[in-house]
Amino acid sequence: MPIGGKKQLPIAIEKENAVVQSTISGRDWELPGMWNRMFEQRVIREFSPEAIEKVASLDGAESLSWCYGCGKCVPVCPVDIVGEYGPRKIFRKVQTGMDLFESSDLWLCTTCMNCLRVCPKEVDMVQIMPAAREVAVSNGNVPNELQDVFEKTFRYGNALGENPRRRSAWTKDAGVPVRILSKDPSPVDVLFYVEDYWSYHPRGKQAAQAFARIMTSLGIDWAILGPEEKTIGDSQRLAGEKGLFEALMDDVVATLDKYEFSRIVTPDPHGFNALAKEYPKRGHTFDAYHYTQLLAPLVDKIEWKKELDYTVTFHDPCYLGRHNGEYDAPRKLIEAIPGLRFTEMERCRENGYCCGGGGGGMWLDGFTANHTTQRLSERRVIEAAQTGSDVLAVCCPYEVSRFEDAAKSTGNEQLKIKDIVELIDEAMGYTAE
Amino acid sequence: MSSDTVVVIGAGPAGLEAARGVAELGTNVVLVEKRDFLGGTPIAENYAALTPNYESAEEAMGKMIDRVQSNSLVKVLTSTTVTSCEGEAGDFHLAVTGPDGQNTIDAGAVIVATGFRHFDPGRETQMYGYYEHPDVVTLPDLEAMLKSGEVLRPSNGEVPQNICFVQCVGSRDRHIGNEYCSKVCCGIASKEAIELRRHIPDSKVFIFYIDMRMYGYWESQIYWPAQEQYNVQYVKGIITEVLKKGDKLLVRGEDTTMGRPMEVLMDMVVLSVGMEPSVGTREMAKVFGVKSNKYGFIESANPPLDTVSTSRSGIFACGSAMGPADLEDTVSSAGAAAMKSVAMLKARPSVTA
Repeated sequence: MPIGGKKQLPIAIEKENAVVQSTISGRDWELPGMWNRMFEQRVIREFSPEAIEKVASLDGAESLSWCYGCGKCVPVCPVDIVGEYGPRKIFRKVQTGMDLFESSDLWLCTTCMNCLRVCPKEVDMVQIMPAAREVAVSNGNVPNELQDVFEKTFRYGNALGENPRRRSAWTKDAGVPVRILSKDPSPVDVLFYVEDYWSYHPRGKQAAQAFARIMTSLGIDWAILGPEEKTIGDSQRLAGEKGLFEALMDDVVATLDKYEFSRIVTPDPHGFNALAKEYPKRGHTFDAYHYTQLLAPLVDKIEWKKELDYTVTFHDPCYLGRHNGEYDAPRKLIEAIPGLRFTEMERCRENGYCCGGGGGGMWLDGFTANHTTQRLSERRVIEAAQTGSDVLAVCCPYEVSRFEDAAKSTGNEQLKIKDIVELIDEAMGYTAE
Repeated sequence: MSSDTVVVIGAGPAGLEAARGVAELGTNVVLVEKRDFLGGTPIAENYAALTPNYESAEEAMGKMIDRVQSNSLVKVLTSTTVTSCEGEAGDFHLAVTGPDGQNTIDAGAVIVATGFRHFDPGRETQMYGYYEHPDVVTLPDLEAMLKSGEVLRPSNGEVPQNICFVQCVGSRDRHIGNEYCSKVCCGIASKEAIELRRHIPDSKVFIFYIDMRMYGYWESQIYWPAQEQYNVQYVKGIITEVLKKGDKLLVRGEDTTMGRPMEVLMDMVVLSVGMEPSVGTREMAKVFGVKSNKYGFIESANPPLDTVSTSRSGIFACGSAMGPADLEDTVSSAGAAAMKSVAMLKARPSVTA
């Protein structure tokens, strides 16, 4: 197989036990070492339209068969750059008989949508992948680490397998009072849908606390669901668990129906994507905002206390940017912070490079590492560091932990990863002890 | 003494359209055709359905023939060939040989519309085995099968299940001498692939190609529907050789996308043969002393904006006598030749003046 334009040697298949019968004595002989080494067939012999038709017959996956092999997706696919994988290659491999439902390629796509952005034939991996993964899920053919997250989500209502009763534990150190609707169900303007990583992850909790302080200081009337909150589960849907997503949606909608609120805001672009696009398809419409969209129009009302002497670059979350077209709100917030110098990475906005967390990638780190030369988050952090920035600003709860790990593993500890709300909070005078 | 007649040579789509155009502009036409019937290659080669609209070739050519035959300004001479041409623009004398023996026709202007012929795959230097394996056929062979309503393997009369097209046979090849792209074969192959998928619904149809060259609207009229609606499998990578394996054909080539060799068994292989100048085009270029290019097609004197004037004043050419052309290009250039030849005659003093 060619990787990076170079032909690679055939893949060796080691057999644990190879036994042959001697043609002289009739005895069985175990063959050790090189004799039981076999090579994958190099000549392509199978061209089977059935494999394509099997995928293309799935609802949503029709467009796989439309690929005409132009290759525009190759340089923008974040995975193609670090591995032998890409939308065009998927098409070609399936055209030569690969069973996508059994293939490791099925789990490498992060549904970042950059291929669809450039595809002249509109081959839509954002729909193909969930449809094909749903088949693999129903066949019970799911990488273990992802299956684990599905089960945790099913059991606890969050991907981390945390205790649902500890959903609001972060509020203790927020420094401002936090209203929980189950205790005080009176009508509220903004329902803050905290989602999993801001509820439970240590770095996420800090961001949730910062956001709570900012909303309160801006005089926003807000509240949370607390222990009643369950994840919206959009990434679980894209990873192939549509059934789980829809079951969660029933629970989420039932909970939301109990309370009166006019807007719903979430820090999670994946949850936001579902509220903006998937819920309405199923008859549930809410006035949904990503937190940057809630804060951006209020930026002039923020009372700044401090200049931040940082050079900052910003990573566009795929599900806020490409999927939902919001590029300006986060930039408006960053650029309003006094003292701060903003600089863009080469790949930004519509062409932002994926962190690797979308479409279930967040829970496939080990699996993906076995099929790629580098984590997407590592590649992104290197690009951020090359801008000479002190801070890589993010606004997706997946990213702080992903990029902090990547900054360490690539030797870029000087690059601090901060959520935009943490930067705003700091410039408003809050200092962590 | 000058003539106000235009002689059109060749009664295929180009010649019929040129003759009709000249006559409808009010000028006398003599339409000279070597064959004993009108309609040219689409009729001679048993075309079934025209690209891209699947119109019946017989009906479409029939309409063109009717329009010419019903016009009293057109005189049609079949089984007739032009053997020499003397004189100059406005005053040519053409010697013709026909059923009535030798004759001379006076002409003010001449339009050469002698067309192309299909590349003979026996002449290819590659190893497609057209004359060795009965199940290796060409686009026009398959066209004739489609016209007959029966697509069967010539070797055993069975319905083929795996069928592939091999593109660029006889085109884009320095070795063969045809360095040009024949323009139409990608579209014709895709059209026939769609017809095959309709005709044999459980067939698997592949097109092996170097580049798909689907000009203009053919992309969305033929290529995309073939792929998206008819599941024709397009594979980037050309076939190098066709070998016989049992009662099937083993096509061997490169899978370009995967960078690996490939070999696939087929029941039938269709060679997408390109276009070459017809014998008539080569002969008429000599008879009229007009310049041809190195491939034998008649050359336009003032390209690219004048597509129909030749190196000799008063002699025009159109259609695929001037190079690979689809039907749309062919009739368009025929119209241009009609207009230019009549305009030239009108600019000269008429016979009676």
